[in-house]
Amino acid sequence: MEEQTINPEQSLQIIQSMICRAQNNFSENGFLFIFWGWLVFLSACTFYYFIVTNFENPGYAWCLMPLGGIFTMIYSMRKQKKEKVRSYIDSYMAYVWIAFGICLLLTLCLGYKFQLACYPIVIMLYATGTFITGGIIRFTPLVVCGALSYVISGIAFFATFETQILLLALSVLVSYIVPGHWLQLKFKQQNGHGTK
Amino acid sequence: MALNDLDPVLHSQLRLAVISLLISVKEAEFTHIKEQTNATAGNLSVQLQKLKEAGYIDIEKSFKDNYPQTSCKITKAGIKAFDIYVHNLQQYIKPAK
Repeated sequence: MEEQTINPEQSLQIIQSMICRAQNNFSENGFLFIFWGWLVFLSACTFYYFIVTNFENPGYAWCLMPLGGIFTMIYSMRKQKKEKVRSYIDSYMAYVWIAFGICLLLTLCLGYKFQLACYPIVIMLYATGTFITGGIIRFTPLVVCGALSYVISGIAFFATFETQILLLALSVLVSYIVPGHWLQLKFKQQNGHGTK
Repeated sequence: MALNDLDPVLHSQLRLAVISLLISVKEAEFTHIKEQTNATAGNLSVQLQKLKEAGYIDIEKSFKDNYPQTSCKITKAGIKAFDIYVHNLQQYIKPAK
């Protein structure tokens, strides 16, 4: 693109085409949705199994969560380092998921301190993260899946503790695993197979 | 509204493309801007320097994996100038419609 005299119509075309290129830069590959979806799903199923078989320390089922948190931090930092462009959407998403992490941690701490079954609230937080992300990146399946998780959360408020664990697993299946794979497919279609 | 009233710093094909790209993102690396604008490295460097001298963009040089890296972001003055440029452009085009 060499420097040359341009008329106002060309100016508008340049502005439109550059803004359009920036907006079509879809950087969400869905990896963390899939990673956390399967991690929580398998942990919740293991936790349910430990509970129904009266295992001595059923809480061991969640032992991989802190490791998942550390992995996520390292993965996110490395991904950010590799990116050639940082959009405002990336910034908003980071704030959303940091807020989600803090709320989840506080909810779990409160649940532990007061011995409360806080899974309906945890499902509600999962739904919120997915719902907002879907809105920000304008990906309707995420919005719909997040909304479905709100319904699951509502049901969980009236369910027994054991059923709440199964509903938690169902929630991550609906709002993380399914839309995560959907996002990955869209990312691959846009960026070509073999890229991540 | 005369065509001459349009900001001469922005009224250039490559500089306008760079500012239009940077207004949509938080920051972008030199290589990304080069890919998106199809400009040559030399020409792009010159135009980025002109935008920087006008106070429209910030250029930050650093090292990533032992390779030099240049990233650019639009300043508040750049956003304002772009806003005025688009407004003036609309004023210029309106009577013709």
